[in-house]
Amino acid sequence: MFKKVFKKEEQTILMRRSKREKIVFGIVFTIFAFYAISLMLPFVFMIFNSLKGGEEYINDIAAGRTFFSPVKALFENYASAFQALKVTDFNGKEIYFPQMLFNSIWYTVLFVGAGVLASSMTAYVVAKYRFRGRRLIDGIAIFSMTIPIIGTTGSTLSMYNTLGIYNTPLLPVLVGFAGFGFNFLVLRGFFSNLPWSYAESVFVDGGGHLTVFFRIMMPQARPCLVTLFIMAFITTWNDYQTLLLYMPSYPTLSSGLYLVQRSLTRNPLEYPVYFAGLMVSVVPIVLVFSLFSDVIMSNFTVGGLKG
Amino acid sequence: MGIFNKKKNNIRRKELIFIWGMLALPLLQWLIFWLGINVNFIKLAFLDARTNAFTFSNFITFWNDLTTPDGSVKIALVNTLKYFAATMLLINPLSLGIAYFLYRKIRGYKVFRVIFYLPVIISAVVMVECYRGVIQPNGIVDMFLHMFGRSIPPEGWLANFDHATGAILFFVVWTGFGANVLLFMGAMVRVPAEMLEASRMDGCSAFREFFVMILPMIMPTISTLIIVSCTSIVATTGPILLFTNGGYNTTTISFWIFEKIYGGGVSGGLTSNYNIVSCTGLCFTLISLPVIFLIRFLMEKIPVVEY
Repeated sequence: MFKKVFKKEEQTILMRRSKREKIVFGIVFTIFAFYAISLMLPFVFMIFNSLKGGEEYINDIAAGRTFFSPVKALFENYASAFQALKVTDFNGKEIYFPQMLFNSIWYTVLFVGAGVLASSMTAYVVAKYRFRGRRLIDGIAIFSMTIPIIGTTGSTLSMYNTLGIYNTPLLPVLVGFAGFGFNFLVLRGFFSNLPWSYAESVFVDGGGHLTVFFRIMMPQARPCLVTLFIMAFITTWNDYQTLLLYMPSYPTLSSGLYLVQRSLTRNPLEYPVYFAGLMVSVVPIVLVFSLFSDVIMSNFTVGGLKG
Repeated sequence: MGIFNKKKNNIRRKELIFIWGMLALPLLQWLIFWLGINVNFIKLAFLDARTNAFTFSNFITFWNDLTTPDGSVKIALVNTLKYFAATMLLINPLSLGIAYFLYRKIRGYKVFRVIFYLPVIISAVVMVECYRGVIQPNGIVDMFLHMFGRSIPPEGWLANFDHATGAILFFVVWTGFGANVLLFMGAMVRVPAEMLEASRMDGCSAFREFFVMILPMIMPTISTLIIVSCTSIVATTGPILLFTNGGYNTTTISFWIFEKIYGGGVSGGLTSNYNIVSCTGLCFTLISLPVIFLIRFLMEKIPVVEY
């Protein structure tokens, strides 16, 4: 009850505005509205043109009618996207749209899952235990995160080849299992704020450190873990360069559709179907985001680099 | 007493096994995929591409390319500086401003918050395709420009040596706010409302309040984000691949590197490029390190308000 009253007060202080402020807020609102419209505009373009015929689209470009709705909405373009959009890899193997969708899913889940698991292990130990080497590990994490090393692509490729993980499904697991990046920083902060008293009682009952970690600490960290997972999910799902460079035989929706686009210059009639494919590729990510947007919006904070 | 000590040692031993058990795999991963790749990277910079013998010739090639008036590395460096300026002078300050108005709950802030985040969740492949459609000659922007008696050149901005980089920079700024806005907001929300209430009672204006209270309190977040954005500018290639594939003088350092390794770009890629790429990367790393350290040093000079 008391909390509720307090919250209401908090809102009024943020919303209370003087006369001069009201004018400023009005102007900013107008700018925001225009900016928001500009961000929505591309989707209008995409939806309209994904429903056009190939020739209609080409004629519309010439006539400056790309922002006009199609004469007749061709929903079959979306079916064609699933059947016709394909990538040919260097072995001449053809990979179709549903396979790309499947690749996107397993690649993203493996890569992100490995990363969140690894960093929760390292962050938890560094946050909750005292041992020799702890400061060094902390230093490693911050050092490797803030030092920009440019141009390691060649070295990375030769390393992956030496390890034999280049272009294999093992790559997202091993490369993803990184415990000292951004996730580490966020989780270390989170774990160090969790109380230790539950752990003590587990020890009294004869439970071990693993029990504490999996049964007590990880469940409490769930909102934080979900946020990190979703954030990384979005970036990884949309990453096309890593896939182009290191996983050429497993095109995902992002890297695959990029390759499709490169081949379109030879056949511009297929643009509408390609647009339909792009629209489909957006659906899963928008779905994931809208399911978890509240968690993301309320849980995401980053403090200073010093621990 | 002896038994007690033995028991205590046993407990500590179990604890240490747990600690290093948790850390072992992530540390091994770091040793291979961070340290190993970077050591290999430095080694590659000093090896001859054909004979694999120790040499400084890569550095000479790099220097020649950098000092030739129209050398590809020089163009890339100039463009990278433009991206750096756009991020520091436009994206970061504007994100802070946008975050502030959303934090003050400007009308429609819930909707704006989601729309402004769209560029983060939607793949760059999609956003670029949309933007390209918007700015093509005869497109919606062109029509708008016609009202002012101007027009987009017939080949389009993206196929024009004078305008291509500018058009991509605009895209980068236009889509660049999302993640930062969210993080800045996350920090602002944690500023205690009673403090704002008290200062408002003392007649502090809202905008003065922003500079003397909110800004110092969220400084750790700001400095972390500035450092991270410095690092990411030199490390990511942005949407250049999707727009021009490096043509029309749009390369940046990281794109130049990507293209040399991946190939298919303007100058193609080969295994024999690993050495010159590593060398160029090493030189730029050494150039950018002091800059990053200086920025970090300056950011840490700013007194942090504890609350």
